[in-house]
Amino acid sequence: MSWNRSLTLLFPLILAAALSGCNVARLTINTPLTSDSVAFITEGRTTLADVIATLGAPDSMTDAEAGTLVTYRFLDAKYSRVNFGWLLKPWSPVDPDLIFSRSGLGTDAFELLCDNNWIVTHQAFVRHRPAPPFTPYPF
Amino acid sequence: MRRVSMLLAMMILTLNACAFSRGTLGDEIKTETVNLIKKGVTTRAEVLALLGAPDRLLQLNGRDLFQYYRYDAKVGSLLLIIANFSRASIKSDDLFVVIAREGTVEEVIASKRTEGLEFRFWPFGD
Repeated sequence: MSWNRSLTLLFPLILAAALSGCNVARLTINTPLTSDSVAFITEGRTTLADVIATLGAPDSMTDAEAGTLVTYRFLDAKYSRVNFGWLLKPWSPVDPDLIFSRSGLGTDAFELLCDNNWIVTHQAFVRHRPAPPFTPYPF
Repeated sequence: MRRVSMLLAMMILTLNACAFSRGTLGDEIKTETVNLIKKGVTTRAEVLALLGAPDRLLQLNGRDLFQYYRYDAKVGSLLLIIANFSRASIKSDDLFVVIAREGTVEEVIASKRTEGLEFRFWPFGD
């Protein structure tokens, strides 16, 4: 058997062994909102009833000096992990671990300020949520 | 046909296990109960009789705000021999009842996000 052919056969085995310690997980709380999904809101014109008809009920409503603060919260967290120690398992008397893992918490909130007539006067995202990647490389 | 059979065989060979988990917090907020609350008619005492004590009680410019909520979480895991995939989705049902100073309901804000909540395994995409 040629060296090239051996490598061709060995490569899928190494890949499968490496992927054996592979985990990908995701946690989503509520439906993440984007600037497109809130584009219909016009400050000074849109009412809270219009917002609720499109986005649903908010997560919290609190008293503010200029009216009522309405908040929609959401989270999109991603986690990935690869254990390269699995590659050495067939040749090692112990269970070696070489783990690369990375988590990303894409948390954000969309806030609206409504006046006493339930008309939206201000709107903004709390953070500009960076979409976390599924990359286990932590460096 | 041969490709589909191969794919199916691969999936069966690599599928180690799968798991479904679910967790809920709070009582279900029934739509028919919410529909019984009428703006300007239903009193604070009637709201309490219909829904019980609120999960949160807040003040909004001198008005009372009753908040009721329920959370539903669904987790699906696909445990293959070569890799594990899992996805957890959490959504909430919220009901806000604003009680005016004179003691009747001024506003009712409700939505059921949990109705469309599904078990999902695939963590990629939307």
